[in-house]
Amino acid sequence: MSQTTDFKKAQSAASQRKSLQRLGFIGRNLALICFATFALFPIIWMITCTFKSDAEMYNTVFRFTPTLNNYKEVLVGTDYFKAFFQNLIVAGGAVLVTMIAGVPAAYGLARYNFKNKEDIAFQILSFKFAPEILVILPVFLIFQKIGLYDTYFGLIWVYQLITMPLVIWVVRGYFEDISVEIEQAAQLDGYRWYEIFLKVLLPLVKPGLVASGLLAFIYAWNSFTFPLILSGFKIQTITITSLRYIASDSVHYGQVAVAATVAIIPEIIACLFIQKHLVRGLSFGAVKG
Amino acid sequence: MSKLNKRSGANKEINYNEVPAAIRRRPYYVVLPGLIILIGILIPFVTAIALSFTNYSFKLPTTKFVFLKNWINMFSSKDFYHALGVTLRYAIYCTGVQMILGTIVAFLLKNDNPFNRVLKVLFTFPLMVAPAIAVLVWQLMTSNSVGVLEKLLNLLGVYNFPWASSNKTAMFTVVLIDTWVNMPFVILLVQAGIQSLPKSPFEAAQVDGASAWFTLKTLTFPLLKPFMYIALLFRLMASLQEFGIIFALTKGGPGNTLMNISLTSYITGFTYQTLGKALPYLLVLWFIVNISAKFIVKRQRKLTMQAAGRE
Amino acid sequence: MARIQLEGVTRRYDRTTAINKLSLDVMDNEFFVLFGPAGAGKTTTLKCIAGSEFPQEGLVKIDGKIVNLVEPSDRNVSMVFENYALYPHLSVYDNIAFPLRSKLYRKSEAEIKAAIDKIAKLMRIDMLYERKPSQLSNGQRQRVAIGRCLVRTPNVFLMDEPLAHLDAKLKHTMRTELKEMQSAFNTTTIYVTHDYMEAMSLADRIAVLDKGEIRQLGTAKEMYYTPASEFVAKLFGEPEINILPGSYSVEDGQGWVSLLDGVRYPVPADVAAALADAPSRELDVGLRGNDIAFSFEKADGWIPGTVYANEPIGNKVIMTVSVAGNHLRLVAPNDTQARMDSTVYIQPNYNNALYFDRASEKFITRHDIEGVLSYHHGSKGKGGNA
Repeated sequence: MSQTTDFKKAQSAASQRKSLQRLGFIGRNLALICFATFALFPIIWMITCTFKSDAEMYNTVFRFTPTLNNYKEVLVGTDYFKAFFQNLIVAGGAVLVTMIAGVPAAYGLARYNFKNKEDIAFQILSFKFAPEILVILPVFLIFQKIGLYDTYFGLIWVYQLITMPLVIWVVRGYFEDISVEIEQAAQLDGYRWYEIFLKVLLPLVKPGLVASGLLAFIYAWNSFTFPLILSGFKIQTITITSLRYIASDSVHYGQVAVAATVAIIPEIIACLFIQKHLVRGLSFGAVKG
Repeated sequence: MSKLNKRSGANKEINYNEVPAAIRRRPYYVVLPGLIILIGILIPFVTAIALSFTNYSFKLPTTKFVFLKNWINMFSSKDFYHALGVTLRYAIYCTGVQMILGTIVAFLLKNDNPFNRVLKVLFTFPLMVAPAIAVLVWQLMTSNSVGVLEKLLNLLGVYNFPWASSNKTAMFTVVLIDTWVNMPFVILLVQAGIQSLPKSPFEAAQVDGASAWFTLKTLTFPLLKPFMYIALLFRLMASLQEFGIIFALTKGGPGNTLMNISLTSYITGFTYQTLGKALPYLLVLWFIVNISAKFIVKRQRKLTMQAAGRE
Repeated sequence: MARIQLEGVTRRYDRTTAINKLSLDVMDNEFFVLFGPAGAGKTTTLKCIAGSEFPQEGLVKIDGKIVNLVEPSDRNVSMVFENYALYPHLSVYDNIAFPLRSKLYRKSEAEIKAAIDKIAKLMRIDMLYERKPSQLSNGQRQRVAIGRCLVRTPNVFLMDEPLAHLDAKLKHTMRTELKEMQSAFNTTTIYVTHDYMEAMSLADRIAVLDKGEIRQLGTAKEMYYTPASEFVAKLFGEPEINILPGSYSVEDGQGWVSLLDGVRYPVPADVAAALADAPSRELDVGLRGNDIAFSFEKADGWIPGTVYANEPIGNKVIMTVSVAGNHLRLVAPNDTQARMDSTVYIQPNYNNALYFDRASEKFITRHDIEGVLSYHHGSKGKGGNA
């Protein structure tokens, strides 16, 4: 008798636990879907807007007759088109310079022991935390004087503040993961230090290189403050040009949406490539991810 | 052999126990190019400190030394304290909301299943969007004429929600946009922390019959703290000096509602063309950022050591 | 193919001294073993020869030439690293081929293929060519590392515990292979190990290293029969040698050693002569486990004790006997039935006893030194296996 009640009790407790679990499952996923909506809806909505004509913009949400007019208006032979490529040159150039100068530095900071090494490394990181405006105001003065204002060279140089600390810190972490003895083995195998760097070390840090490089590119591409202050009419970047669409008198919302979409798409594709290394990159190597 | 060497090296003694200069200098050769490029940018920073003691302006033909006038003016102006207040409020709201919500979402994503894996990737998208572009998107969404949010609120009976155009809701709007862009960062870091949690202490706790809450409080959070501190560090530093989002949305308006230190100094330096007056603001901001960064980095180091069991 | 000399080499790290004024002279074509406990400075010594570590004092010479300032790549040495140091991004084949593809030691791909096939077969890794190091077991990695070391003919092979991660059976065959290969290749080898059997079976000469200094240099036989100190005596032989405090006295011209609370025995003349000249009468007497006979029957003159522990190790049993507060380990046949705490009688073979000075723990003498060192054993296994 008591055995059966015990059994029933246990059974009801189990079913209670089960329904609680199911409730938790539903609640959790509901919350996640809510957040997913918050995170993704703006992007999706904006992309749909790119296909709307000005007239349909005001009275429709998702049902409308798609048109490519907005793309034509924005992309074909316009400032935006020019800005897209100029942005590509500036951001790409910045990452290139960073790779050439920064990767050896990352190696040096990872492998060698020398005076003030940690201080130098931290100093490099601290550029990340320096207020952009503080750096940029005096740079603006000096660039105007020495003729670097509104030039590729000037912008690429300043962009190093964004790209270099990131690449150095992330790649340094990858170098630190390589045992010194692998280098020593390569030396004994008859290789010079630069051969070792190219044939052994670079292939080993390649994932970090690609990830931090792409991330640095995204940051440079996204930069707003630097080009706002340091570029004029000659060089324009996509962030600055896009904002001009909303500031103009006759607002073509569809075109604004196109400007934003075209600026975002390359980044989202890049982001998909570096998913695995994203955490390490975003945290400047502080989290191995 | 060594004798022979000494004789042959009569004019120049070879020291076999001194690392050859070429090898000794190698680390510096390797680090130098990167350092030079960065220091090149640092020089203006030093001039910034000097210029903060002058009346430098693009309008004036000459520059005069004005001692502490800029500094005194700043500390006695109401604008400064307003800007300081906006800066701190913005930083606290953004960091607070993002840390709390981000941590919650990261925990919701804790289970490893295909649905969560897809979500993890999708959630990183806003992080890639340029803040200025994000503002653009949200401007479209909050527009009273074409905005989808207006249509949504209409369904709830709310009409003409002012968003960024009223001083009552402007702060809410920028914090919302900042959160949309940056919260995924917190999610990612806390996620990484959760994934790196060691299994054995949790199994031990389960065997010992510890309650879920007890495990969370005494195991999970202490182990996650180092990761959360990194998230906090990056978010706090960035939101203290936020410029792009606020500038792109309202240029500090309406009125001076959103004028934080970065914006105030930008307007003073560029719109009013008085750079000398703008620089003290920035140096104060730099000071605040630096102090809080040092503090958080120190705490984080200590926690990491604790988590690794070597204190 | 080269003589390796170290002259007063010192390598310090921030606070610790890894090796201290170390001098070695490794002959051309010699198989030289560096033997010692962890942290003795064995690896650092190898790396000083390789050039990966730069000594603060002293000279490193290869074939009489000072190479301190010669870059590692130009020293023509090859090394097996303790942690393998394989290139993670290269396949097993490419790992072994790596030295032969460098500018310095370049060979044609056909020659490389032939060389690798030969060495891989020997190392039994010829079926693993396409694998990456991460897909290998530790033992396989180690064999790949050895393969990469042996694939070319350098001045000297440096091997840092190359067999440490192999299973017992493979270890034994590889040991034989290595020894054969070394004599076939005619190449100097410096070999680091902390396994005394490996040291004794491979070495032409052994240097016992401790705390960065050489404690004894000599042949395997010398290490075993005439260890320079108690430290060295304890390193060689299984079970560990028994060290018993004792004292020396002379009565009527006959020398006596007493130990174990009342046991005393007369010593032969050669031992007595040396002990008489010793700095002190206080001795430590070393007795190896296989030099102690035992019986469960009462026997005349044998020392009574009780069985303290009985540890079977396969082909024999290590019995620990408690005598007057001392624990003696001795070797017993496999089928020995000994109950704990039962009485046992032991009789050491005092002819093989080693005498050390109590204070300095330095070796004083033993009986018939010349005899034991010149005696030829049938196999290279020697006393260590007993």
